[in-house]
Amino acid sequence: METEQLLLNMGPVHPSTHGVLRFKLRMDGEIIRDCQVVMGYLHRGTEKLGEMKTYLQFVPYTDRLDYIAAMPNNYAYVKAVEELAGIEVPERAEFIRVLCMELNRVVNHLVFLGSLLLDLGASTPIMYGFREREKALQLFEMLCGARMTFNYIKPGGVREDLPEGFIPKLNEFMKDMEKRVDDYEQLINGNEIFLLRMKNIGVISAEEAVNYGMTGPSLRGSGVKYDIRRLEPYSIYPDLDFKVCSYPEGDSYARYMVRIDEMRESLHILRQVADNMPPGKAATTQRYGIAPETGIPSSVMSYFPRIFTPPPGEVYSRIEAPKGELGFYVVSDGTTKPYRIKIRSPSFCNLVAIPSMIVGLKIPDLIAAFGTIDVVLGDVDR
Amino acid sequence: MNAAEELKQSFPESVTGVGLQTNKPLAVIKKEDLLMIAGKVKEMGFDNLSVVTGIDYVDHFEVIYNFFSYNNKQNLALKVILERENPAVDSLFSLYKVADWLERETYDLVGIRFSGHPNLVRILLPDGWEGHPLRKDYDMNKEQWVTIGEDGEDIVSTDGSGILRRK
Repeated sequence: METEQLLLNMGPVHPSTHGVLRFKLRMDGEIIRDCQVVMGYLHRGTEKLGEMKTYLQFVPYTDRLDYIAAMPNNYAYVKAVEELAGIEVPERAEFIRVLCMELNRVVNHLVFLGSLLLDLGASTPIMYGFREREKALQLFEMLCGARMTFNYIKPGGVREDLPEGFIPKLNEFMKDMEKRVDDYEQLINGNEIFLLRMKNIGVISAEEAVNYGMTGPSLRGSGVKYDIRRLEPYSIYPDLDFKVCSYPEGDSYARYMVRIDEMRESLHILRQVADNMPPGKAATTQRYGIAPETGIPSSVMSYFPRIFTPPPGEVYSRIEAPKGELGFYVVSDGTTKPYRIKIRSPSFCNLVAIPSMIVGLKIPDLIAAFGTIDVVLGDVDR
Repeated sequence: MNAAEELKQSFPESVTGVGLQTNKPLAVIKKEDLLMIAGKVKEMGFDNLSVVTGIDYVDHFEVIYNFFSYNNKQNLALKVILERENPAVDSLFSLYKVADWLERETYDLVGIRFSGHPNLVRILLPDGWEGHPLRKDYDMNKEQWVTIGEDGEDIVSTDGSGILRRK
């Protein structure tokens, strides 16, 4: 039977879009025939703002991109600036940075797990996910006083050294968390309704996923065994032992499984970092760009200056954020402010593939596929 | 020999310069040949277009494409230089589907047109927005108001008197 196609707006205010995102769907009965993504509701002009701030002042703005996992945002930006300016970072600072980023990866995947299952209609897992997340957020609060928008990693190191009693508390969290991941797997993985909703839904082949610019766990769910932490190692990752998790199926279930495995790997990394934390300073003592004749006693300016001028040049630096490849393109013209900052956000580029994944499926499948792409709208709209 | 120098050797007419983007090989391409060179770059194994960056240098524009090869673990950046008036360059959508949104974003915020793009409309800002914010001559003091029309589409106006309570 021929029916008239219906234009359906899903969002911008819809609980399953994790923020304000609008899908313009052309429906043939219950089947999605065409999908357009409309975004920009949360656009704050972060890149333009960056041109008006000094290099250090821009760090808090990066927190507001992917607010679920803000530490990697801080780091990605700071790494670009450090490469541009040639700033050296002490080993202890790199250890603390990796510790923060991996802890944040666990937090991100917990939120992913909870919100995905909530979208699919199960309301318990988000309680579990947020229970563990709360403990991790308390650790972050102990570290820098903030729970989500940290402003912790800065050029040259981190803002504060680890507080007293942090490592024991972290060990406690890890011990608890390792058991919890097993619990989630037992509760969720074999669930028949869950499997029916996830298996063979939103399938994308490896070749297509690469062509669509997907990165991170979403790409590894299509069987591409890639990880920037391995391909272009940065920080202390070359010395750490971890697996690159990937599943060949390319469906929603594979993308979900990648993230469950990654939580375990992150905990494994965390344990190595916590056990081998070297002594030393948590920020560089390099007197970058300060002329000796300024007369500031070295005790006052022992840490990195607030205003500094990297030499003219441009850099594209990328890291493996929990959601995928997070890159910052920073152009310096030799003044105290960046000439241009371009943010390559993983959520934005992963979302490109959504229309091709869900055409021919139904709206509940869109929600499942969209949930496993793991998008934060602050990161999409910037 | 890095990938940019290889390109220079194979296409001496199209590649006007090679260099480094801090630590990544960079080739400056004549804008007419971008699509052809990008096709070769894809054949060389660069299967991932990572980012498209448009930069306003006041007297000219630059568009930089960062490629990555998953198999060879290599980086390559291509740069095209565009004139100030009506900057336009070929779209890479036919080669890399991710270019769809990356180019739309560059069009939206920097105002560079990509010829051959199937749907070159604004992506982050609403249709009807005036100006391209990441241009250096963008007027930051001009207020623009967005309301939602009856069909759900955005309406941009420069007159906020009907919307705002403040006088």
